[in-house]
Amino acid sequence: MRRYKGVLLAAAMVAIGMTGARAQAPKTTLTVDMPGDVATMDPQLQWDTFSYTVYRNIFDNLVTRDTSGKIVGQVATAWHYKSPTQIVFTIRNDIHFQDGSKLTPQDVVFSVRRITNPAFKSPQLSQFDQITSAEVTGPNQVTLTTKTPYPVLLAQLVKLSIVPQAYVEKVGDTKFNEHPMGSGPYKLQDWQHGVQSVLVANTGYWRGKPPFEKVVFRAVPQDATRIADLRAGVADIIQNITPDDARALTSDHAVKVLVTPTERTGYLFINAQWGPTKDVRVRQAIAMAIDRNSLISALLGGYAKPVNILLTPASFGYQPDIKGWPYDPKKAAALIKEAGAQGATLTFLTSPAYPQNVVQAIQQMLDQVGLKVVIRMMDQPSYLRAREGAPQGAGSLGFGLWSCACQDADGTIWPLFHTGSIWSKYSNPAFDKAVDAARQTIDPKARLADYHTAFAILHQDVPGIGLYQADALYGARKELQWTPTPNEAFFVMDMKWK
Amino acid sequence: MLRHIAGRIGQAVVTTFGVLTLVFFLMRLSGDPTLLLVPQGSSAQQIAVLRHQLGFDRPLIVQYVAYLQQLLQGNLGISLVQRMPVASILGGRIPYTMELAAGSILVALGIGIPTGLVMAVWRGSLLERALAAVVFAGQSMPTFWSGILMILFFGVILGWLPTSGVAGLPSLIMPSIALGALSMASFARMTRIAVLDELSRDYVAAARARGLSLGATVARHVARNAAIPVVTVTALEIGNLLAGAVIVETVFAWPGIGQLAIQAIASRDFLVVQAIVLFVSFVFILMNLLADIVYAVIDPRIRFGH
Repeated sequence: MRRYKGVLLAAAMVAIGMTGARAQAPKTTLTVDMPGDVATMDPQLQWDTFSYTVYRNIFDNLVTRDTSGKIVGQVATAWHYKSPTQIVFTIRNDIHFQDGSKLTPQDVVFSVRRITNPAFKSPQLSQFDQITSAEVTGPNQVTLTTKTPYPVLLAQLVKLSIVPQAYVEKVGDTKFNEHPMGSGPYKLQDWQHGVQSVLVANTGYWRGKPPFEKVVFRAVPQDATRIADLRAGVADIIQNITPDDARALTSDHAVKVLVTPTERTGYLFINAQWGPTKDVRVRQAIAMAIDRNSLISALLGGYAKPVNILLTPASFGYQPDIKGWPYDPKKAAALIKEAGAQGATLTFLTSPAYPQNVVQAIQQMLDQVGLKVVIRMMDQPSYLRAREGAPQGAGSLGFGLWSCACQDADGTIWPLFHTGSIWSKYSNPAFDKAVDAARQTIDPKARLADYHTAFAILHQDVPGIGLYQADALYGARKELQWTPTPNEAFFVMDMKWK
Repeated sequence: MLRHIAGRIGQAVVTTFGVLTLVFFLMRLSGDPTLLLVPQGSSAQQIAVLRHQLGFDRPLIVQYVAYLQQLLQGNLGISLVQRMPVASILGGRIPYTMELAAGSILVALGIGIPTGLVMAVWRGSLLERALAAVVFAGQSMPTFWSGILMILFFGVILGWLPTSGVAGLPSLIMPSIALGALSMASFARMTRIAVLDELSRDYVAAARARGLSLGATVARHVARNAAIPVVTVTALEIGNLLAGAVIVETVFAWPGIGQLAIQAIASRDFLVVQAIVLFVSFVFILMNLLADIVYAVIDPRIRFGH
């Protein structure tokens, strides 16, 4: 029925000369264009970018990151390690859910138990499955226990939304997904699947009054259409714009481009266990054949920064003093000759999720030093299956953008290169020892030293190379004030009109 | 006639079943959604746990039989990606697809048929050549290009129409034109050929000899006879339009079946893809059936079974 009211209203607008389309949204509403639709509103189910963008404005997290990237409290005010496997959180007692009920330590425990229960089938389980128990251990206290000392726990808990136990149990999981209710700054008013999600301000929010009365998240898959929406004033901020779009937007004085370096690393995987790249000299030659600076300036519009290792400075464990391989095509060609790999055919796996011009440029750079690179384009699920499968099926090369959403080396180089990990086509016991050690202590200094060792080994063995730290690009109305963060969070609470 | 229709329905059911089976196995041969759902860096064991929970580790044939059993009870299942009943996911999109199909068929028929008629009757004139250019443009402009051009011109520069979305009638105009343009060209060409064919018949000469004006001849006799091939094309075009217009829906952010199909395939949301296949097959069967019935109404020879 609501839709047909809309049709009537729109017909009336046509009648008065279609002036309505141009009119800017009243400033009490923020309209966001996302490339896709929300899959689930239940924050403990899907965590694709679009669902994540929307539901994190409805819920609060146990801890969060401030603008500098430091982990700070949100639902928890403080925490301390009781033992290397036990961490005690103090829970705020002034938070209320949107139905007026109080957020209690029991809700925190419930949230942890719900997402870690395998029967709940949460795709996010692997981020929390180190937690073996969650208990209320005092009036405002929750204790989490992990299997082993787990240094990345806090970084993972940044993503733990606190859900209301009483409400979830009352309405059930299915209805909770359709009608989510949290303690966050916004409430879900209307979810039109495939079209938009309308959020309204939770006026009693404990961190203060939310900046907009209403926030509309629209699903607009086509890049050019999102740009048109922004320029026509239909959208106030749009996600995922390309470097070309960003350049084009600079000529429009009503809009601006917001940029932030992220923890996402553009990298090249090199198969160390199969084919011509089994020879370390070929891998080192590949590392020297790639001109990162031209990739970034010519193809990414300068919206990226070269990296020396396969990690960005936005993540814990980054090693600024390990030199990357210099761009030296002559030396690369000589090394390939020495290895007897001239004209060797290398299969290069990629998917449409990655910038194809970068992939093609790498192909040319490698062809120039005497290799023969064949690009194999697959859709994302097939790419993942090949890349995570046996070494002989994983191609010689693969392009990827890696983000563990935890800003820690553990989430990057452990899965990519540890012996036996599905992503790894490489094995070195010394490397394994270093990253295993870094995973099992909560002492940051010891971890940094371990990662220094690990990255030094990777530098010599080259089972993959970091190419660049990707920027996140948003297009926004000039009046919108917001500083995007490296973890690509989209908290409306941090935005405001100028 | 009834027997004919029953036969067609029987064929259609067999075809649908075949297509569904093919889609079921092809989709699964190219991997399941587990890898897309888990966070990057999950271990083999963590992936195996989720795959088991979602039931994708069962033998394909077991999954297939379970699916058919469920389907026979009229249950399309629950989407494992959206955790919602597939019927309600699909049901939410069908009205949008129908709106867009109606809009574009209006554009296609409303412009295409008169254009074809005029081109046939005034064959060789300057007017025909001018209209031929319009038809040619409609047929050759790719929608991802014409759509974006329209958005920029009418949405951004002039500000007359909304750039995207489903805010009522104004937002239906541009997608309908973009999507209807190609069908418009087919209708115009089809009508032109059919009318030309009829105009060369003896009955037309006879009617003219009786002193009937050209306009009256076309309106009373030619149009009706020329309608039969056009009806066939219309039925097929409506089928096509209801099956979802992937590109137009993507360009205009129109939440119809086409967009849903693309998203469901990309995310390996098997049950949604299967439900869409069922829906599209159903639409085609229905349209063919309607065409058969309309033939009978227009052409007595078919009605009386000669």
